[in-house]
Amino acid sequence: MSRLTSGGLVDRDKPLSFRFDGRAYEGFGGDTLASALIANDVRLVGRSFKYHRPRGILTAGAEEPNALVTLRSGARSEPNTKATTVELFDGLEASSQNRWPNLRFDLLSINQLGGPLLASGFYYKTFMWPAAFWEKLYEPLIRRAAGLGKLAALPDPDSYDRDHGFCDLLVIGGGPAGLVAALSAGRAGLRVILVDEDHRLGGRLLAERRWINDLAGHMWAEQIAAELAQMPNVRVLTRTSVFGVYDGCEYGAIERISDHLATPDAGQPRQRYWKIVAKKALLASGAIERPLVFGGNDRPGAMMASAVSTYINRFAVAPGKRAAIFTCSDSGWETAKDMIAAGIELVAVIDPRDRVPPEGVSLASAGVRVIRGSVVDAIGASLRAIDVVSTEGHRVRIAVDLLAMGGGWNPAIGLGGNLGAQPIWCEAVQSFVMGEAPPHFAPIGAAAGRYGLRVALTDGATSAGEAIEALGGRATAQPVWATDDEPCRIGAFWHVSAHRGKAFVDFQHDVTDADVTLAAREGYRSVEHLKRYTTLGMATDQGKVGQLNGHALMAEATGRTIAQVGTIRSRPPYFPVAIAAFAGHHRDEHFRPERRTAGHDWAAERGATFVDAGQWKRAQWFALPGEQDWRETVNREVAATRHGVGVCDVSTLGKIEVHGPDAGALLDRLYINSFSSLAVGKARYGVMLREDGIVMDDGTVTRLADEHFYVTTTTANAASVMQHIDYARQVLWPELDVQAVSVTEHWSTCAVAGPRSRALLKALFSECDFSNEALPFMGAATIGWRGAVARIFRVSFSGELAYEVSVPALLGDALLRALIEVGEAFSVVPYGTEALSVMRIEKGHPAGNELNGQTTAADLGMARMMSKKKDFIGRAMAMRPGLTDPARPALIGLAPVDPAILLRAGAHLLGRGAAPIAANDQGYVTSAAWSPTLGHSIALGLLRHGPDRHGEIIIVHDPVRGADVEAVVCHPVFVDPEGSRVRG
Amino acid sequence: MSVAEPLIIEQRSGFTLATIMARKATPMDRLETALGLALPVTPSAKSGKGMTLVATGPGTWLAMGDGSGETTPAALSQRLAGLASVVDQSSGYAIFRLSGRGARTLLQRGAPVDLHPSAFSPGSAAVTLIAHIGVLIWQADHLPTYEVAIFRSLAASFGAWLEAGVAAL
Repeated sequence: MSRLTSGGLVDRDKPLSFRFDGRAYEGFGGDTLASALIANDVRLVGRSFKYHRPRGILTAGAEEPNALVTLRSGARSEPNTKATTVELFDGLEASSQNRWPNLRFDLLSINQLGGPLLASGFYYKTFMWPAAFWEKLYEPLIRRAAGLGKLAALPDPDSYDRDHGFCDLLVIGGGPAGLVAALSAGRAGLRVILVDEDHRLGGRLLAERRWINDLAGHMWAEQIAAELAQMPNVRVLTRTSVFGVYDGCEYGAIERISDHLATPDAGQPRQRYWKIVAKKALLASGAIERPLVFGGNDRPGAMMASAVSTYINRFAVAPGKRAAIFTCSDSGWETAKDMIAAGIELVAVIDPRDRVPPEGVSLASAGVRVIRGSVVDAIGASLRAIDVVSTEGHRVRIAVDLLAMGGGWNPAIGLGGNLGAQPIWCEAVQSFVMGEAPPHFAPIGAAAGRYGLRVALTDGATSAGEAIEALGGRATAQPVWATDDEPCRIGAFWHVSAHRGKAFVDFQHDVTDADVTLAAREGYRSVEHLKRYTTLGMATDQGKVGQLNGHALMAEATGRTIAQVGTIRSRPPYFPVAIAAFAGHHRDEHFRPERRTAGHDWAAERGATFVDAGQWKRAQWFALPGEQDWRETVNREVAATRHGVGVCDVSTLGKIEVHGPDAGALLDRLYINSFSSLAVGKARYGVMLREDGIVMDDGTVTRLADEHFYVTTTTANAASVMQHIDYARQVLWPELDVQAVSVTEHWSTCAVAGPRSRALLKALFSECDFSNEALPFMGAATIGWRGAVARIFRVSFSGELAYEVSVPALLGDALLRALIEVGEAFSVVPYGTEALSVMRIEKGHPAGNELNGQTTAADLGMARMMSKKKDFIGRAMAMRPGLTDPARPALIGLAPVDPAILLRAGAHLLGRGAAPIAANDQGYVTSAAWSPTLGHSIALGLLRHGPDRHGEIIIVHDPVRGADVEAVVCHPVFVDPEGSRVRG
Repeated sequence: MSVAEPLIIEQRSGFTLATIMARKATPMDRLETALGLALPVTPSAKSGKGMTLVATGPGTWLAMGDGSGETTPAALSQRLAGLASVVDQSSGYAIFRLSGRGARTLLQRGAPVDLHPSAFSPGSAAVTLIAHIGVLIWQADHLPTYEVAIFRSLAASFGAWLEAGVAAL
């Protein structure tokens, strides 16, 4: 066991049991899965993506590229989880990935032998011949070998939540800089949100042995955290990470509510997606250490120097027994001190720079070999030795099981580039820093390339002060944070060229230094090409650890400076985000909101089958026991309505009240026909055009009083017609005195149709006169019913004697039940949207399929409705030659020559004997149905010169669903063409 | 500072609703005299005489009445004849009242407008979205008590979101 006997921030009073690859282990509260594995001497945690090389834990943070495990099992299993960020909990189960049959013995490690063949871009150069093999052999093989981790393929049992945050100052990162900034701003009374990915605040202070004002760093952090927790104007979100910066000072973040628990508490979501709007934001995300590039730098046992320190200081585990440090950064020398304090045998420190920090002298005298040179190769499937070459050329092999690498630091500026700002090269810190920044956003501390604890503390205070002032507040007196300076120099050293083993640049995607030089050789010299060609930086870590090394190597390979080569901007999300977190509540039946009519429950009781009409649920048909299929049901509903009486819930159609002295004038400008001339108590069918002359929508308009009109629309266009009317009265003609509002929701409407409809309504509404004289076709009446206003419109979509009855929706259910109860004496039948559709096709009424955004009023046989006495929207554009061409496909009916054949919508129309090519296309079928009234299939369609071709036999061409069919062109009104039934 | 009262969510009933839209050239004071109430002209709500008027746009208000004779849509229509158009919306909206501990947290989780007391207080109103559902929210008192009006047809969907949200509090 590698657990140190004392020290660390783990809770030794809280032992936890967990399993990795089926074996049982023990850890402590406060451990991560990674630290607990190290405590249990587990060195091998995965196999790399392409070469299946054995890999161990490289880092101690969210930038981890190697230690990707599948956490949990069953429906909750989560692939590609970084062991370094998993908070250990009792009963945790994890398994390694990308290996078969197991981690120790992975057959696919044979890929390593194919090394030269599997270099970057190999798939552009292989698997090409024979072409036939691609689909059947190569692709399935590649699919099986590719990919990292396996999805559960079971429904996610957890729920996900949202929240919205608003603040004056958003502080991203709760390390020393962030804590001071949040504290100063909080004390000044600003609304502050402080976000940190860890479960406790402190950042680097939890991982290093530093002192602030005579307090150990982590205790100082606790003290600040306690003060922040008391401030009502400060919100601290731990276990939360910001994933993106968006326009309008908006920030996306994910709060991990339950990831650290075996299962979420009852009702609790797994994760919460935050949208935060902040007047100012500070990026206090620190910096990420980068490795050095030499042979075998990916061996289990080679670890980032700062990670070694973290495991020692925070988790009280020693990642090895006999160690060396290879560093070109002063920070690597700090790790030496931590190792010695932990009792790890430090054998050598290798540093290629001219000057070593003062520590070097004391270490040498303590028996540690200090070598000015570099490690060229790390050896062993699990690290057992390193080959070192000094600057003088002396070569020596040193036996170690732990190599701490310190290649320098990359400020974690990813978020800063989300809105397009390019990073700029900073020679002093040998890394890229933010140049421009998003509006009201600034990096501080290490994230700004300003290293050192004292600098972090002052940066936090200064930046908070600036934010406070900018927002018109007053900063309180700044405390003095006393801490010791640490040396922060970084040398410009990137790469050991003469090595034997593979030297890795991108660990997760197995990109080596040879791949970078290959890319340069093949002409992929830009960093953007380098990225796509080698896949450097394209893994789940987005190149946080290794990308810059690749860019430095490209600079070397092409004789440019790193500043000239540039780097790649990070893309949001900054880290992988579960899609479920974005979906939140909106999945399965809650994917989108559902609109239900007032008659919905009644229809469900009646056994209706429902169909989606936009967000609405509409009853499609009402099957009776014994009916074999839906067509039988629909045929019965149609027959019953045409011979008796049917009732249909048509509440989903749009309804708009239009009021005011200029209401009629506005409607005249919106419709092709006139409404200012409509008498009170009468209804009229109207058609609206778009500005470009194409039909937009149709409906009936009823005049209920001089200055009161009631407009109906199709279901689909209810919202867009309302917008259109509002646009017209508010923007186009604000001088008109007209008001309009949607009442689609307020009214429930039922169609009552059929020869017995009058009798049914007389029985239900006994005070109302339904005679043909009192309520003629296209008339309207207003009556009282159960204490409310009811409106009765004598309009017909079915072509039968029919009415539409509207009551306030709170009485909608009662109306339906009353109609059915009273209607029993008349054998009333409820009918749904299918029967509704069959009947309107039988009557040749254009509906959504014909009002398809490509047809004009003339195409639909309504040219004569277009008034010549007034202007209306679309009038001028409708007169364009292309829209008045008589050869345009126009509305016709179709009946199959063979009555047994079904016509289908979407089929195209050809002349007999014409080849089925686009040049011969004469139109298409828009709507089709089986007509129980006629005993054969019928259709509506658009046919060139259609109205002049009644009686002609043409071909209905349907290559997708079947053979060509002969059909007769006819008048689109199949049933009662004189329209005598509606007028009875 | 935590709220003492427990969370109560109730779907309102017994109210009437009307959309009032001022006619052109109607001076505001004439409308106010006819209504007997000051009219909010920013996104806000004003209550009095058995009614709450919520401004939902320029010259447009949703009037919620307590069901008494003076405040029905028909009565309002008469009182405002020639001054404004009045349209009955009593069946058009479902109204949920949320009050007490967690009410603000719950609504904030759904709504992308700042509900913090420094930004939203009794009388404040907002037209916004919760769970893809259009809502009109106004704050009735300091408890806090909020009223949330949605299209009646979406009540079941909104209820499902409320249920999940309450469980997560």
